[in-house]
Amino acid sequence: MDNVLTVRGLKKSYGPQVALAGIDFEVLPGEVFALIGPNGAGKTTTLRIIATLLTPTGGEITFLNHDLRKEPDLVRERISYLPEEAGAYKNMKGLDYLHFMAKFYARTPEEEKAFVDRAVEITELGDRLKTKVGTYSKGMTRKILLARALMTKPVLAILDEPTSGLDVLNALEVREIVRRYVKEGTSVLLSSHNMLEIEFLSDRVALIDKGRILDSGTPGELKEKHQAKNMEEVFRSSLR
Amino acid sequence: MKRFLNLLKKEIKDLVNVQLVVSLAFTLLLFNFIGQMSRKEVQKATGVQAISALDLDGSISSRAILAGLESARFKIERIEGKSKEQAIDIARGGESKLLLVIPSGFGDSLKDFKPNPIETYSYMRSFSLIGARGSAIVRGVLSALNNVLSDNFLKEKLPSLDPASLKTPIKSKDFVIVQDRMAEASASDIAGLVSSQSLLIPVVLMMIVMSSSQMVISAVAMEKQNKTLETLLTVPIRRTSIITAKMFAAGLVGLTSAGIYMVGFKSFMGGIGRDDLQAATSQSVAVMRRLGLYFDTSGYLILGAALFLAILVALAMAMILGVLAEDFRSAQSMLMPLMFMVMIPYFLSLFADINTVSLPVKIFILAIPFSHPFLVSQNLYLGNFGLIFGGLAYMLVVFTVLVVFAARVFSTDRILTMKLRFGKKRTTVA
Repeated sequence: MDNVLTVRGLKKSYGPQVALAGIDFEVLPGEVFALIGPNGAGKTTTLRIIATLLTPTGGEITFLNHDLRKEPDLVRERISYLPEEAGAYKNMKGLDYLHFMAKFYARTPEEEKAFVDRAVEITELGDRLKTKVGTYSKGMTRKILLARALMTKPVLAILDEPTSGLDVLNALEVREIVRRYVKEGTSVLLSSHNMLEIEFLSDRVALIDKGRILDSGTPGELKEKHQAKNMEEVFRSSLR
Repeated sequence: MKRFLNLLKKEIKDLVNVQLVVSLAFTLLLFNFIGQMSRKEVQKATGVQAISALDLDGSISSRAILAGLESARFKIERIEGKSKEQAIDIARGGESKLLLVIPSGFGDSLKDFKPNPIETYSYMRSFSLIGARGSAIVRGVLSALNNVLSDNFLKEKLPSLDPASLKTPIKSKDFVIVQDRMAEASASDIAGLVSSQSLLIPVVLMMIVMSSSQMVISAVAMEKQNKTLETLLTVPIRRTSIITAKMFAAGLVGLTSAGIYMVGFKSFMGGIGRDDLQAATSQSVAVMRRLGLYFDTSGYLILGAALFLAILVALAMAMILGVLAEDFRSAQSMLMPLMFMVMIPYFLSLFADINTVSLPVKIFILAIPFSHPFLVSQNLYLGNFGLIFGGLAYMLVVFTVLVVFAARVFSTDRILTMKLRFGKKRTTVA
């Protein structure tokens, strides 16, 4: 089975400052691949490069056999990105926001409606979608953003801290939604500081620090290798 | 195209919000209100005005002066049997803005050519220019009476001579030549008329550049502030389409807003000097046409093209400045250099002649893209088509360079990493 995403020797520097020193990983179809690491390790930079926001300094990225650097427009059709600190247009009503975003991906009005219907189902916000996004709580905004990211059933969803700032119940709901969409065929590349979330969602994990991947494997493999009870202990052990 | 229209619709909706509509409506009403008020004041000042008069002489000459003032649309409120001091107090309590005191023996003093001065007392109840107009008219009437009296005397003493020739033995006739056309007029009058004709050009340019630039710079800065830019940059739409949609929306809404401002401004200006302008126009149109100092259709098209290109340049600059801004507040400060770039050629066009300034200053002025719309009208009048089309081409080149630069910025990391922070440098790595 071909990889959805293949990353080889990925490098990124901001002047003299090295953010990524050459990392390799791949994401398989229907898989949740997680990047974990301390603040400033290079997780978000990696996600931003794959989301076509940043240009790498070196290395190769192949998405469904397409060179990401040469065909960014084509890649954008098939991926979706949820940044950690994303916002939605506050002056728009929730439903209008979903229609606005769906129009970029849909080829027909029917497809647009199908995307929005799916998003409405994901958000479970009901009539609140008829009110302006500016009036939403953080949890509601995050849900509508996640719905926006998943409604098109992208080949690869890039989720940066998908449950950041959410309460326990909202975070659980979001994780369930992600799991459901993975079952339906979407691959997920995510980053999180929540090790419980990583254990619950991820099929494979890469531990990154100072722009390099220190270790990778399934959560089970990593726990066994580091003789750890949970992913938090794996995290601590890897960084020692 | 569908994606572009989707974004364009969103951008226009973002810009045309309740605040903008209310602000435009308020401005329109305010301009209209001030215009109406000014019109009433002008009508009051140019209509029949009451002045008080104390005639201590009662001679034929003093009565002739008061009759002359009545024929100049003044209502004379005569104060009888009072001293000068009492009359000053009486007039202070009334509504008239001027008291005229004709001294005793005035008529006789005229005959002896040792005239006693007439005294005028103006009551400054406000400091508006229109309010002081009454005293100027009185001075005009007195000057006309002086002329009549001196003419009569000269005719009596030297009946074979024309008093006018005697008083002004050297006469002059002023002619103005523009290229190969000539007309009888004074150069200062023509310069005044040309500048009043092109008065609206800088106002229109300033209005449009300010409103459109503010909109486009805010549109980019707000995307950053609200954390929506990253998402927008990862949806399947070309970066050039994002730039074009934002510029097009800002240009469209900016033009409409400026149009509304102009309607209000016209109503305001019409209120202040409508009658004067009409009178001046009817007198000067013939002279201006004879000198070729008017715009035909091609002239208006060239002027429109210059304004349009200036707006495009401003929008492209604002787009780049918007990228440099971290948030809405810093975006507002970044508009300042752009505003100065519009104001510099405006003030220079008022006080300096581009053809006579030194070469470095000339290069400096011509290097500012916004100078060219200010220079178009006089270059059209003077037939300097090389400078006109050179200016248009220059603005087009500047616009193209800026758009290419903006597109490059939007297509690279710079859109996320480029920041201008006064006194600080920052690089973001996550």
